[in-house]
This record gives sequence, C-alpha cells and structure tokens, in this order.
Amino acid sequence: MHLSSQQQQDLAFQAYQIRRLSLEMIAFSQWGHIGGSFSMAELLAVLYFHEMTLDPQRPHLPTRDRLILSKAHGSPALYAALALRGFMPTERIYTYCEPDGLEGHTHIDSAPGIENSGGPLGMGLSVAVGMAMGLRKKENPRSRVFCVLGDGECNEGNVWEAAMSAAHYHLDNLIAIVDYNKAMAKGFVWDLMSIEPFADKWRAFGWQVLEIDGHDLDAVASALHQARWLMPNGKPIVIIAHTVKGKGIEQAEFNYKWHTHAPDPDTADAMLREVSRTYGYPEEGYSRLTKQFQKDVFYGGE
Amino acid sequence: MAENNDNESGDASLRDAFGHTLLELGHRHDNLIFLDADLHTSTKATGFKKRFPDRFVQVGIAEQNLFGMAAGLALEGFTSMPSTFAAFAARRALDQLAISICFPKLNVKIPGSYCGIPTSRAGASHNCIEDLAVMRSLPNLLVADPGSNADLRAVMHTAMNTPGPVYFRVTRYAVPELFGPDHEFVWGRGETLREGADVTLFGTGIMTWFCLDAADQLAREGIDAEVIHLASVKPIDRTLIVQSLSKTGCAVTAENASIYGGLGDAVSEVLTDEWPAPVQRIGVRDKFVESGGIDELFARHLMTPTDIAKAARLALSRKVRREVLI
Repeated sequence: MHLSSQQQQDLAFQAYQIRRLSLEMIAFSQWGHIGGSFSMAELLAVLYFHEMTLDPQRPHLPTRDRLILSKAHGSPALYAALALRGFMPTERIYTYCEPDGLEGHTHIDSAPGIENSGGPLGMGLSVAVGMAMGLRKKENPRSRVFCVLGDGECNEGNVWEAAMSAAHYHLDNLIAIVDYNKAMAKGFVWDLMSIEPFADKWRAFGWQVLEIDGHDLDAVASALHQARWLMPNGKPIVIIAHTVKGKGIEQAEFNYKWHTHAPDPDTADAMLREVSRTYGYPEEGYSRLTKQFQKDVFYGGE
Repeated sequence: MAENNDNESGDASLRDAFGHTLLELGHRHDNLIFLDADLHTSTKATGFKKRFPDRFVQVGIAEQNLFGMAAGLALEGFTSMPSTFAAFAARRALDQLAISICFPKLNVKIPGSYCGIPTSRAGASHNCIEDLAVMRSLPNLLVADPGSNADLRAVMHTAMNTPGPVYFRVTRYAVPELFGPDHEFVWGRGETLREGADVTLFGTGIMTWFCLDAADQLAREGIDAEVIHLASVKPIDRTLIVQSLSKTGCAVTAENASIYGGLGDAVSEVLTDEWPAPVQRIGVRDKFVESGGIDELFARHLMTPTDIAKAARLALSRKVRREVLI
C-alpha cells in the first residue's frame, strides 16, 4: 500500500510542524536535543497522523495503540506530535522543562498521550514488552505497542534482555522502531561502540526485521502497514529506520555537536527559516521574536 | 536469640510466610502478576506458579528487564510483583526501579528476598545490607521490613491495597511470632511491644525479636527498656518515636542492614528534627558481610541481643552525661 499524494503532502506538513515546534520549545527552554528530535519527525508524523489508533479526547481509550519513546530525550518531537494531534494546547510546549510543565524527558504526568516515564537509555523496550504482554493477558487483540529506540541506546544490555523476552513470549503486537541516525552524544556510533551487523542481531534474537529510509514517508507508512497486516506470525517486529541526525538544518545534520545544544534566539530564528525553505513552506522565524508571541505567551493573548 | 534459623528443611521462616501469603493474594487479587527472575524456589513463589500459571511470568536472569516489564504490566492496569533477591533489586535494577516505576508511581509491589545477613553462606554478593538505604531514598516508594510471619502477611495485604510502588523485605530467617493472626499493618504506624521508662529499643525486621531478647537481659539488671517495632521504615512513625523518647530520653536502633541510611538514620532524623537525644545504632558498620554461619555473622557484626543490650547501656550513660552537662 502506498500513500496518496494528498496523504504525502499532509504528513510532510506534520513532519515539518513537528520540527518547528521541537525547535521552538528547545530554543525557548534553552535545553533539549535537536538532532534526535529532527531525525524521527517523519516517523512520528506517520505514526501519529496515519498509523496509530488514537483519540485525543480519550487518551486512555482501551483499544488505542501505545507508543513508548525509549529514546526519551527526543521528547520535544513527541510533545510536538501530541500537541499537533490535539492531545494538548500548542501553547503548552512553552512549558517544556519548566516545573509542572513538560518534563525534559518524557514523563507520564506531563501530558495526555504520554504512556510512561523514561530518560535513562535502554529501558523503554522492557516497558513496551510488559505492555504488550499485558494487552495479551487482557485479551486485547486490537492494540499494538510501538517502541521508538535510538541507535546509541542499543549499546545498553537492557535492550537485548527485552529483545530476548519479546521473542520468547511471541509478542507480535510489539513493533520496535529504531531511529538509526548514526550519531550519539559524543561521536558516531561506529566510532564509539559499533552496533553492526544490526539487523542480524535482531534476527538472531528472534525478531522480524524491516529496513527503511526513515525520512521517506511512503516507506515508513508501507513498513508500518506491512507490520500491521502481513507480518504478525508470532515474532516481534523491528523497523530499522535509517535517518539523519538533525535532518532539516544543514549545520546540525549528521553533527553530534547538535545532539544536546540549544540555539540562541537569533540562531533559532535562522534555523527555523532554513527549515521552512528546506521543506518548501513560507519562511517563518522564531515566534519568540514576534510581538504577537510575547502577547500570547506572557500576557495570555490579551 | 532465635536458634531456629531457616534452613532447607525449616518451614517457619519469613520467606515461607511470603509463599503462603502470595497464594492468598493470588486468590484475592485477580490482577496480580508475579514476575520471577529464575529464583522462585528460593523466594518460595512455587505455590503461586503452580496455582496461577497464567499470572506467573518467568523473565529469566535479567533483573533490568524484570523491573521494566513490571512497569509495563502496571501501566496496563495490573498490579505487578517483580521478585528477586534484595541485592539485585537494590543494585542491579535501581535505575529501572527509580524511573520506570517510582517516578510514575506505578502499582508495583517489590519483595526484596534474602535481605540482610541471613542468606545461608552466599557471602557479600548476596548479603544485601544497602537496600533499606537505597529504597528509602527513592521518592514515591514506601518501605517496610516486617518482623514476623504475621507481620509480613499483614504488610503484603496492606501493600496490595496501597496505590503506588512498595518495597518490602523478606528474610530467610525464622523468628517467634510477635503478633496475633488478626494483626494489621498500617503505613507510618509503629507498634509498642513492651513498655519501659529507661531506654527505647527500636527494631525493624527480624531485629525486633533481638530487641525483645535484649530487653529481657536489661530487665535482669533493673533497666526498664521499651521495645518499639517499626516495620514501616518509610513513612516512619514520627509521633511514636518522639513520644517514647520524651519518656525514655535515649534509644538504640537495630536493623538487619547497614547502619547507613536505614532505620537508625530514619529514627535519628526524626530525633534531630524534633527531640535531640542520644541514639546508638546496631547494624552492619560499613563492611561487606562475607560468607559464614548466620549466628556467627550476627555475632561478628555485633548485632546480637547482647550487643543491643550493651548499646542500650551506652545510650543510658550518654543520657546521664547529657543531663549532668545541662
């Protein structure tokens, strides 16, 4: 199954918006991870606007699909996707990293639609395994559990403990997606700790593996469709999505120096304009620089 | 001192009570899922495994995954019980416990089996003395160290009815029963087992029994010791601690754990805040507990009833000196 051109356009716009809002919240809070948020913008756009069964009005809908963001430092992209999907007002992104606001790493109390609390790497897949098993025990055949992992966190032993158990319990309602953006905090994966042969590792652990270009909306949607309808046969599924860290901003692309780095307002403005140009939308800068934004956020829109 | 140490033929230790109560909980709570990391015959969960195979999950020797899966099951509405030795719960899977379970306040009940000194002869790797300190430092986590079989049973029933994460210790040791069959456990409530006027002996876990023994020894010398059992280590019964100290003026704490961060510190914190008084702490004094016979180890680490009585005399002497100074 392929996306129609209208669907492609719509999803591309959502991916663009996820990047914009991620950068807005990182620049505004002066903390966060641009590289890992930008690399999974298409993945989250397809999941939240095409693939997953969700109801923003009923975030605890029993038949919903669940998503665990194991690479929880990518929280800006997830908060952005949830805001765009209607789980919370968009202005809430400006509470990122503030007390009682959106927690720096995903936290269940931060926003409706966040399923767990995370941060330390390598832990999310175990939680997803527990949820997938819980769904089976509750005889819920509709819901699936998606778990988005980073490539670097696959250095963690906990990931492979979880992988082993998911295959042991035949959890084919579990779909792991690795945002394979090739860069970690302080260097490239192959320099710091090689994970290749990566697909073979998952296969050896009893998983079915799909490999795709994680920025190709149609490829992402097709892989998820395949995982949904064709693949379930008692094995958990992993989609290895090859991506570019910081995709959309030239100086951040494949650049681990933008793993954790918050731009100053002028840089944020230039970066946001660049993102607009890259994805072919009317140029729009950093909203904090506008008078309207200051009115909206600081004076409640009066 | 209790000589009926649990051994392979014994059937009265706290871990046996754990196994029996676990079956009760299985019958009473349909949504309880027990997760095991290849230790169920040691932790005495085999009965539950046989009776409720659908709610018994084997995760293999993988404690990080054990706690992560427990979080996932709790997120799906189950009450999960990830079970391993205290050493591995407190050390191996601490990050998972803190962030996947305690931060989101999930309904996970954690038995720390083989806590403290009595672990047969396994040695420093398995004799877990840091769990009270570690667990007490985690926000949202309640901590209990029950002192007898009826107490453990009460703790487990209360834990199941308490929302959020709970850590409770299960000891591979047998002590005489402290309570009747109708005993109830309430978070933050201590139990005065013996009233006295001269010194308060605060015990938790199996050490409360040692405190009662010490109180008998002290009585023979004319020292009137009060014995208070604090199974609820967090939250702790601040009112009872202050009430007792306002009467006795000095205290000894005794725990089957390190003197750092556990009961001794919890009691001292209350007294520092509200009623400064001399406190002597009985527990493992900054050492790894290496292999040995159980009674031999209690003696080696100066944790016998006789040591508690000795500490009480020291506390009493400091109380006198303080009054002289004032």
